[in-house]
Amino acid sequence: MPYLEIRKLEKKYKDFTLSASFGVEKGEFLCIIGPSGSGKSTLLSLIAGLDKPDGGTIILDGKDITSEKIQKREIGMVFQDFTLFPSMNVEKNIQFGMKEKRKSERKKLSDSLLSLVDLEGYGKRSVSSLSGGEAQRVQLARAIAAEPRILLLDEPLSALDAPLRKSIRNAIRAIHDSTGITMLYVTHDREEAFSISDSIMIMHDGKTVSMGTAEELYRKPSDLFTAFFTGEGTALPAHLIYENMEGYLFFRPENAVLSEEPINPDMYPMHIILSDAEILSCEFNGSAYMLGLQYQGYPMLLQSAVKPRRKTVSVMILKESLLNLE
Amino acid sequence: MIKKDRYYTAKALPGILILVLLFLIPLAFTISYAFRDNGKALVEVFSDKYTYRLLAFTLEESVLSALISTLVAIPLAAFFSKYTFPGRKAVLTLSGLSFTIPSILVVLGFVIWYGNNGILNTLLMRILGKDYSILSILYSFKAIILAHVYLNFPIAFLLITNAWSVLPDTPEKAAYTLGKSNSETFIKVTLPRLLPAILSSFILIFLFCFSSFSIILVLGGNPSFSTFETEIYRRVHISVDREGAAALSLFSFFITGVILIITSPGRKESKLSRKQKELQKAKGKNLAAAILLMLLILLFILPPMLSIVYRAFYTKAGGFTLKAWEDIAKGSTGLMSTAMNGIINSFAIALAAAALAVFFGSRIAMAAAKNNSKLLPLLSSLPMATGSVTLGLGFSFLAVMLNHDSLLASYLLVGGAHLTIVLPFAVRTILPGAKSIPDSLSAASYTLGVSKGRTARKIEYALLSPYKKRAFAFAFALSLGEVNATLTLSDGHVSTLPILIYRMISSYNYQGAAALGTLLLCEALIIFAIGEGGKKNAIS
Repeated sequence: MPYLEIRKLEKKYKDFTLSASFGVEKGEFLCIIGPSGSGKSTLLSLIAGLDKPDGGTIILDGKDITSEKIQKREIGMVFQDFTLFPSMNVEKNIQFGMKEKRKSERKKLSDSLLSLVDLEGYGKRSVSSLSGGEAQRVQLARAIAAEPRILLLDEPLSALDAPLRKSIRNAIRAIHDSTGITMLYVTHDREEAFSISDSIMIMHDGKTVSMGTAEELYRKPSDLFTAFFTGEGTALPAHLIYENMEGYLFFRPENAVLSEEPINPDMYPMHIILSDAEILSCEFNGSAYMLGLQYQGYPMLLQSAVKPRRKTVSVMILKESLLNLE
Repeated sequence: MIKKDRYYTAKALPGILILVLLFLIPLAFTISYAFRDNGKALVEVFSDKYTYRLLAFTLEESVLSALISTLVAIPLAAFFSKYTFPGRKAVLTLSGLSFTIPSILVVLGFVIWYGNNGILNTLLMRILGKDYSILSILYSFKAIILAHVYLNFPIAFLLITNAWSVLPDTPEKAAYTLGKSNSETFIKVTLPRLLPAILSSFILIFLFCFSSFSIILVLGGNPSFSTFETEIYRRVHISVDREGAAALSLFSFFITGVILIITSPGRKESKLSRKQKELQKAKGKNLAAAILLMLLILLFILPPMLSIVYRAFYTKAGGFTLKAWEDIAKGSTGLMSTAMNGIINSFAIALAAAALAVFFGSRIAMAAAKNNSKLLPLLSSLPMATGSVTLGLGFSFLAVMLNHDSLLASYLLVGGAHLTIVLPFAVRTILPGAKSIPDSLSAASYTLGVSKGRTARKIEYALLSPYKKRAFAFAFALSLGEVNATLTLSDGHVSTLPILIYRMISSYNYQGAAALGTLLLCEALIIFAIGEGGKKNAIS
């Protein structure tokens, strides 16, 4: 049985319904990704107890906590907004949620947490003097200080600039590895989710669409939404290639090869050959060229190490890399 | 996220209950008096031409006072919102004093400064070598308007300057590049953007003047200059026509209600950019103009107040004396015998009313903010619509009903009336603070396992502290300067500083009034400083 189990959890709004079922193992780092409005933050609010579900159950460590008060759940949360308490300094913020401890122990723990988030000596500082990145680190330390059974992180880095995001996400992962705390991390940034998580859950329109490791979701997506949300690719109607096949055939840009000369299909039985594809655009992305093509009126995307000279080309796709998706 | 929070509603409930009781019980008595003899008095009030003359005069003096105050404020605000110069901040801060200065002090300052035998006339007579008063201002319509402008023009000046100072000037710059003149740019570009602030200060001053009492009563000096408030007071204390007073107060409540409904869209705060406009440093001619304008403002604001302090230590002939102070200390005869008592009463009542108003007000404001309630702020604003004389009248009916002879009951009645008057202001001052506390802050605390009570105590109420400070200062100042309800309710048992000042002015004991006025002024200044401290620490 998973450490955290979400069973048919439902929350209905006027024009949106969230329904989710999934499980998270103890010590796992799960990233929840999805476009804006897909219900990621609502899901975290329900798990934390900030919002009440209309149906379903939340089971934590074998105990149903669906009706439990927020304060009793022992589920910590790091918010996207600045939620440090302005009436307290950094140290007091961290100590605020600590369980019963002697003063000296509280001080020792807050100092060690500050050092964990790389903010030694910041204890006496006013929270209003902190930068965005520092504030998020203190929020993280404060949440961990309360010794939660699970830590929820709701887009904690979205307000920060790119280099800072990278450094703090590495720090979050390091803290996860050193504390072993189960973390649920919401983000809309695919790259962030890929780099930080043990597993990823994709949400769309209030539903959990798919779940797996970053590699599984990228290489073997279960549907077109997951395929496109986890990376770039092309989806061609299947009947263009196999007469009686339904749905779409999906492939990643790096799985196709471009040829400026005509190709004899008999020489490449392992490949699908698409002749007379027209190049519409060519962008250099630093390591290769990303080409936008059109084949029988359908757009295609593929990667090429060299810049093509001709406008009309042939494309070879390895058959086993093609995925039949709906 | 977390809406409809019963915890905060439960905490606010005692305050709501007290407010409703303190408001409804006196109002119920007023209604019952008005409807006696099959509502004879009410029918008379509605059909009497005099009622409509009162209405016409009340509207006339309020509109004129608000119009002049706003019109004088606009050009000054234009200068103060464009340039920065030494003394600018001090003059703006001084203007804020109008919010805490009791109107009875304006009355006293005007009598001492502008009176026929006042300091200004004495100075002018000496300078011009005449043996008769040069200026005849007091006890006339112009005295009422001048006093209203004196008390309220700084409010318009402050509100419009603050709004104008944060108004980005890029649209004006764009207009200039399109070849538009200064005047055309002002009329077509600046004025429409500034209109909400102008309108809002006009309405605020209009409402203040609509319920003006002591200024009309003393500086008008003539029953023909009567407003609803002064007429209700006269009917209670001079004609002893309680039914008539009750009926008139209901009519006035109805009219105020209509005015509040009509003007409420104009009082919506305009959302202006928080980015401060870059003010230009005044140099050369502009600096000279700045100094001149500051001098004009100070010459208008300071003399009446300084003349109170002067008169507390100097006789009319100009000789130094401490007689008034000795009389206060000794508890001399006449009105002075109760002076010390009045000082203590005023301080104790204001302290209790302000402390209770902040205690209950912060809980009501938190409940309103947490539950996103529109009803609670509306409910707590009801006493404002009623007018303080009407409230005082209701409490005086309650006193008649109780038929008591206990000093404690008198104190409770005056304290209750003060609390009913100041509580709505406390709620209104604290509410923006309560609304500015993000839900996520409380949610963060809950996810740390912290209880609602501790979250409220350690985080939410801690954030409200600067607002509470301001509310306390405002409520204390209001209670300290309260004349309308106290005088209407007055049964002779409880005297406050403003009531004593009013009585001393009426008995021409200006020196005694000035000494008490100086004390009241000092208290108002201290309270103003506390309020300013609260303003600086409020959450931005």
